[in-house]
Amino acid sequence: MPTYEKILLKNMEMPGYTGLLADYERVGGYQALRKVLGKIAPADVTAMVTKSGLRGRGGAGFPTGVKWGFLPKDYTGPKYLCCNADESEPGTFKDRQLIERDPHQMLEGIAIACYAIGAETAYIYIRGEFSLGARILERALAEARAAGYVGTNVLRTGVNIDIWLHRGAGAYICGEETALLESLEGKRGLPRVKPPFPATHGLYSKPTVVNNVETLANLPYIVNRGPEWFASIGSPPKSTGTRVFCVSGHIKRPGNYEVPMGITFRELIFEHAGGMRSQKPLKAIIPGGASAAFFTPQHLDVKLDFESVAQAGSMLGSGGVTVMEEGTSMVWAALRLMEFFYHESCGKCSPCREGSSWLVQTLRRIINRRGRMEDLETLTDLCKNIAGRTVCAFGDAEIAPVLSTLQYWRDEYEELIRAAEPSGAAELVMPARH
Amino acid sequence: MLREKYKDEIEQILSRYPVRRSALLPLLWLAQTEEEYVTEAAMKEIAGILRITPPQVYEVVTFYTMFNLRPVGKFHIQVCKSLMCGLVGSDVLLGWLQARLGISPGQTTPDRLFTLSTVECLASCGTGPMMQINDEYYERVTEERVDRILADLKRDGTSPLKSGPFILPQLAGSEK
Amino acid sequence: MATTTTETVRLTIDGVPVTVPKGTLVIEAARQMGVMIPHFCYHPKLKPDANCRMCLVEIERMPKLQTSCSTPVAEGMVVHTATTVVNEAHKSVLEFILANHPLDCPVCDQGGRCDLQDFSHEYTPTTSRFLEVKRVFPKEYFSALIETQMNRCVQCLRCVRYCDEVMDVKALAPSGRGTMTEIKHFTTHQLDCEFCGGCVQICPVGAITSRLDLYEFRPWMLKRADTVCTYCGDGCHITIQTKGNDLIEVNSAHGAGRNNGDLCARGFFGYHATTHPDRLQSPLLRRNGELVPATWEEALEFVAETCIALKLKHGPDAFAGLIASRCTNEDLYVFQKFMRLVIGTNRIDGSARYGHINGVRALRRVQGTHRWTVAFEDIVGAEVLLLVGTNITETNPITGLKVKEAVKKYNATLLTIEALVPAIGTISNIANLSAHHFSVHPERFGNVVLGLIKAVVEGGLVAQTLTQRAPAYVEAISQTLRAIPWETLESVTGATSQALMEAARAFVAARRAVVLVGQGVLRTPGGFGVATNLLDLLLLTGKHDRPGCGLAPLAEENNDQGAVEMGALAEFLPGPSDLDDRAARERLAGLWKEELPQRPGATLMQILGDARAGNVKALFVVGENPIGSLPRAAQAKEALERLELLVCQELFLTDTARLAHVVLPACSYAEKDGTFTNTEGHVQAVRHAIDPIGESRPDWEILSALSVLMGYPIEYGDAKEILKEIRNLIPGYGLLGPAPATPRSDEAVVERYLREGYAEDVGARYQLTGAGSFDMAQPATSSAESDRRDAGKVKDGLQLTLVVGQTLFHSGKLSTRAKGLMEVQNAGSLGLNPSDADRIGVTDGDRVRLVNQAGEMTTSVRRLDRVPEGMAVFPEHFDEEARRLLTVSVDPVTQVPYCKSAKVRIERL
Ligand SMILES: Cc1cc2nc3c(=O)[nH]c(=O)nc-3n(C[C@H](O)[C@H](O)[C@H](O)COP(=O)(O)O)c2cc1C
Ligand code: SF4
Ligand code: FES
Repeated sequence: MPTYEKILLKNMEMPGYTGLLADYERVGGYQALRKVLGKIAPADVTAMVTKSGLRGRGGAGFPTGVKWGFLPKDYTGPKYLCCNADESEPGTFKDRQLIERDPHQMLEGIAIACYAIGAETAYIYIRGEFSLGARILERALAEARAAGYVGTNVLRTGVNIDIWLHRGAGAYICGEETALLESLEGKRGLPRVKPPFPATHGLYSKPTVVNNVETLANLPYIVNRGPEWFASIGSPPKSTGTRVFCVSGHIKRPGNYEVPMGITFRELIFEHAGGMRSQKPLKAIIPGGASAAFFTPQHLDVKLDFESVAQAGSMLGSGGVTVMEEGTSMVWAALRLMEFFYHESCGKCSPCREGSSWLVQTLRRIINRRGRMEDLETLTDLCKNIAGRTVCAFGDAEIAPVLSTLQYWRDEYEELIRAAEPSGAAELVMPARH
Repeated sequence: MLREKYKDEIEQILSRYPVRRSALLPLLWLAQTEEEYVTEAAMKEIAGILRITPPQVYEVVTFYTMFNLRPVGKFHIQVCKSLMCGLVGSDVLLGWLQARLGISPGQTTPDRLFTLSTVECLASCGTGPMMQINDEYYERVTEERVDRILADLKRDGTSPLKSGPFILPQLAGSEK
Repeated sequence: MATTTTETVRLTIDGVPVTVPKGTLVIEAARQMGVMIPHFCYHPKLKPDANCRMCLVEIERMPKLQTSCSTPVAEGMVVHTATTVVNEAHKSVLEFILANHPLDCPVCDQGGRCDLQDFSHEYTPTTSRFLEVKRVFPKEYFSALIETQMNRCVQCLRCVRYCDEVMDVKALAPSGRGTMTEIKHFTTHQLDCEFCGGCVQICPVGAITSRLDLYEFRPWMLKRADTVCTYCGDGCHITIQTKGNDLIEVNSAHGAGRNNGDLCARGFFGYHATTHPDRLQSPLLRRNGELVPATWEEALEFVAETCIALKLKHGPDAFAGLIASRCTNEDLYVFQKFMRLVIGTNRIDGSARYGHINGVRALRRVQGTHRWTVAFEDIVGAEVLLLVGTNITETNPITGLKVKEAVKKYNATLLTIEALVPAIGTISNIANLSAHHFSVHPERFGNVVLGLIKAVVEGGLVAQTLTQRAPAYVEAISQTLRAIPWETLESVTGATSQALMEAARAFVAARRAVVLVGQGVLRTPGGFGVATNLLDLLLLTGKHDRPGCGLAPLAEENNDQGAVEMGALAEFLPGPSDLDDRAARERLAGLWKEELPQRPGATLMQILGDARAGNVKALFVVGENPIGSLPRAAQAKEALERLELLVCQELFLTDTARLAHVVLPACSYAEKDGTFTNTEGHVQAVRHAIDPIGESRPDWEILSALSVLMGYPIEYGDAKEILKEIRNLIPGYGLLGPAPATPRSDEAVVERYLREGYAEDVGARYQLTGAGSFDMAQPATSSAESDRRDAGKVKDGLQLTLVVGQTLFHSGKLSTRAKGLMEVQNAGSLGLNPSDADRIGVTDGDRVRLVNQAGEMTTSVRRLDRVPEGMAVFPEHFDEEARRLLTVSVDPVTQVPYCKSAKVRIERL
């Protein structure tokens, strides 16, 4: 099995590493912050990040330096950084590890980003369920404050960087950046219509950057080892650096694997994660979290980078790779994900709100042996009618499992429908709110 | 009254945000920790602190699934039923719990010790099946561990089987 | 409005080039050229939310379909609203929206005027592909007036957004999420709000409906009449919908009237007053001490004969008349003409005397106008707004909305001087939006005004031009104010000199400044002086003649302004012209072909005094109710009891009418035609919606009939003919466009004022009123600081200022007859600051006694955050008992009776 140098998981995999400040400092922590604060002009830090080719690890993969560059240049009022630690995409659990095992690494990243964009305040929006993570981060923040890495006049450079933790309370949609901002403003987490974008009208209508935990955690290393070094990792020029892939499902060694982008699914699944958990062969792969279209074994040699996965008809998304073995019902898998989406649709857009409930009910009916062949047409139609017609990307996400399973495993749907009892008395249940 | 009991904490929370209303989720958390669920009185009080109307608090409370508007059992067991945990047996886990507790999701045991709920993905797909009980995660749950956890909770109010910081892949497979 | 841009953008919609102002939304640009893009969540009053996704259009060079409701036009944009793709999208979005929508159109009150129904006919096949189970919300009782049918909700959130963005009430909560989102109030509580009906009006489907007319009708059965609401001076356009002679509902179309379709509870839910079963059906004549039904002939002949006899015996000045401002201009005009010509006296007065006249007299004195020099548009466009003594939301709700719009939408700076303190509640409170709020004792608003003016003159903020033009005037004011040290001012206002200075600076810095003065000033002692001082403020800061600037006294009754202009007041002839204005008298005499009486008029309090003294023998009362309006101390009853003839034209048997010798049933506004003039001077048409109730007749017609019997016929075929005559007297009357052309101040009058007019009373006007700071809640026992803290121990109660005033749900003389309004508020309770309530140990619903030298009353308590400490408020519509405690003082200049407050001791029962 090829081995690669890890960046983000390196510290924490050292024996005895606790993630406390002393440990982090021992391995060179906060040197990057010292290196930039007051010494490198903020614009140059941004340029460095652009040059590194770092792309967002939250889902959309937008180039980080470019995003920072969208902030208004001559603006002198308050700006904000929000660290997206809402990690709620089914199949994704990397940020949790980064938070719980090496909190200072992301804090340093946040501080660097604040400096680069000129934000004096950063909020870490952490999903409500991560109560352990929140405690760990609070402790780390206290350490960082005491050590002068966070607060007013950081490291006596005159730069102010306040970082506050803000807990969500159970809503996947709050990972969407504008819903996150609404939530942070004390409102229901409904995504905003864009434009305007957060870069100009973000938190409290002020210029704001939202970045994922993993994205930010990379920053100290880009500063320390140079953008060229970072850009040489992975599959340059478009997918540089490593990614922490979260492997789950019917796999021998589920967990997070940090590898350079560009290795194949085959390598990730069969070498790093130890292959399938039983004798049953691989049937399906979700390549990038619940919002990504399913892959089949034919896609095993697709490379795990943004372009390759997109070209093959799905997306790298949040890096959650879920594998399913032969024997797993794909209609059931689609339904499980659809139930998630139904449960989490904020309800703002009619197509998403009504579509998710309609899709769930139809899938349930098919599974309950009450389907009809026309349903498959309807399912496809509904998905197409949701696509591209909603405020946020949730709409496009929720249809991916249905459309892709219909594409590759239509026979399974048909089989269930053929098995339908014409007089089937199965009960129709309302989609349940818990 | 939260205002009296948590005066300094509330001040501290408010000081983090340039706009008062931002303190809504933190204050709701405070209220829920205080009373196990968010009471009407708390919602009104928080509205007063933030200078918004009680309906504005209420609409937010109902949007987020972690806020309870009614009392729940002493231990709120929340089983992840999303696909990834589903692939590794969350339905079975739910079945055990239902059998052991004699309740279905959404219900509370008559002794008010346990409330059972199903929830969506809690970001521990690599360590499923899993459940959250109050603030703690319990991962890689087996039938035998369910029994131990329930017994521990009843006896001690907590269980050593709860998760610590994220389980690293090297440790994966080796049971705690 | 704050930035009026003339920049335009050119674009193409469906192949047609259009030019629209920059910033226009695509959906509006399309509407302007007659292309209607289907939509649910969009409403021109609200910020775009783009949630329904119905309004998708294709815009060239944009990758996806765009929501036209949230996309502003751009130069060169090419929009397609009806391509196959777009039609397909509309169809599919509609299919989603209909998925969970019940098919209950036949029992839905929206049926026939439902956007969803309309668009469905246009876009969808008759059978749905949705085979699943529709969501069902358990039915919950929402409120007595507003009902929800959540199964029908399309989740556009227009109601919620309206309640927040326009009304600033925030009473509606979308609870839950996803398909199960439900519009609620607060947990399971029933709706408690301003009941403006806005959510009912703005819901595009039948999810929120009025309970007053539930299941009563189908829209196409109804007859409509566009007319004007009579509950306050704002003069809102309303459409009354009727079935037969029944009032079914009232609404107001978006864009209609000065209110732009917005209404308050009174306008929306108050319409049943006119058809209340107690309406008088026929004339009543006193026989053997009892009022008994009579025919019109009997009643009118009796009045005519008695009048002729009394006039012969005592002369015309033994007569007097009072008329309510809820009458039409035509009624008011004929009334004063009747009194002046047929009876021969100027001794008439009306409800504008209760306060509105103070504003009018100040305007006439200083700038020679009797109307605002600003209109509602100027309020919306103002950069700074100063509100003095007005809880505007409750007295003039729609003018209040203009203020809210200016502040919320266009970032105007709001300065407020009001007794009430900012407090978020279920009724909006303008002070919540204020940048500088001065909470002060209700009789001392003038002190803060002095403070502002002191800040202006001492902070070097006086306009240069004015200092040059009128140095003596500036010096006189400065000098008087110098004599009042800041410390004293601070102690009597509770406002710091710094805060006053900041407010003054904000006021001066604005290019467009509007000052709104309300009943809190106009109906309290010194009202005339304070209104004059506010004009001084405008003069001193160089704003009085600037476009968009001016003083706007808020009229309480719907036609207070019309009453002034029709000359139905003691000091005015129609115009209004002063009684002793020779030219005006001659013109009038020429037109009427009759000499006008020479002797002076008499105001309300003079008339009552003269009646008590036995000098007034006969009184005509049209819609007025002095017994029901004035405190007992005014001795109105004693006065009326001495009359030899009391004639009342009324809708109901009021306290005053009960004493009458003859009661003549009059029509309500809903049964007659004519015009009203609103607070900003806009003359609007009143149109009858139903036939007269019983034998009732319009007031002018009754007077006209009497005149014939008395041998001086003043006859008209209909109301229009009267208006024609009015127009001859007051050029342009009733011919105003959509926005009234506001008068400019008369520079000759201003000049005279600046030279000498001010000097008459400058010393008196620039004096502090009252002593001690605002916080005057004191235990009646002197010793007791410790008692104050320990509520239970305040045995002898607290000393408070009781203020009776209008509430949002009741105004004018008819609202207590409206079943809708009575559902919301049907009794009075005493609003107390929670701390004061604690001091005497009472909570909501507990009973208290109020005592002073004049008498005592008992009532129940409501704790209200907005009531400042030391004050207690009571709704004047339920103040029968409270009136026993009130004292009366009369303005020496304008003769306004001030009778809305009293010092009382409060104790727990
Ligand atoms: C429905 C939805 C959910 C999302 N959830 C998350 C999330 O949990 N965590 C995250 O970092 N980004 C999430 N995103 C992506 C964010 O909107 C945003 O793109 C990201 O935080 C930007 O950070 P990055 O540029 O560093 O990736 C989500 C997006 C959508 C549409
Ligand atoms: S697409 Fe779905 S989740 Fe996103 S804003 Fe619309 S309704 Fe909400
Ligand atoms: S009207 Fe545009 S999205 Fe609703």
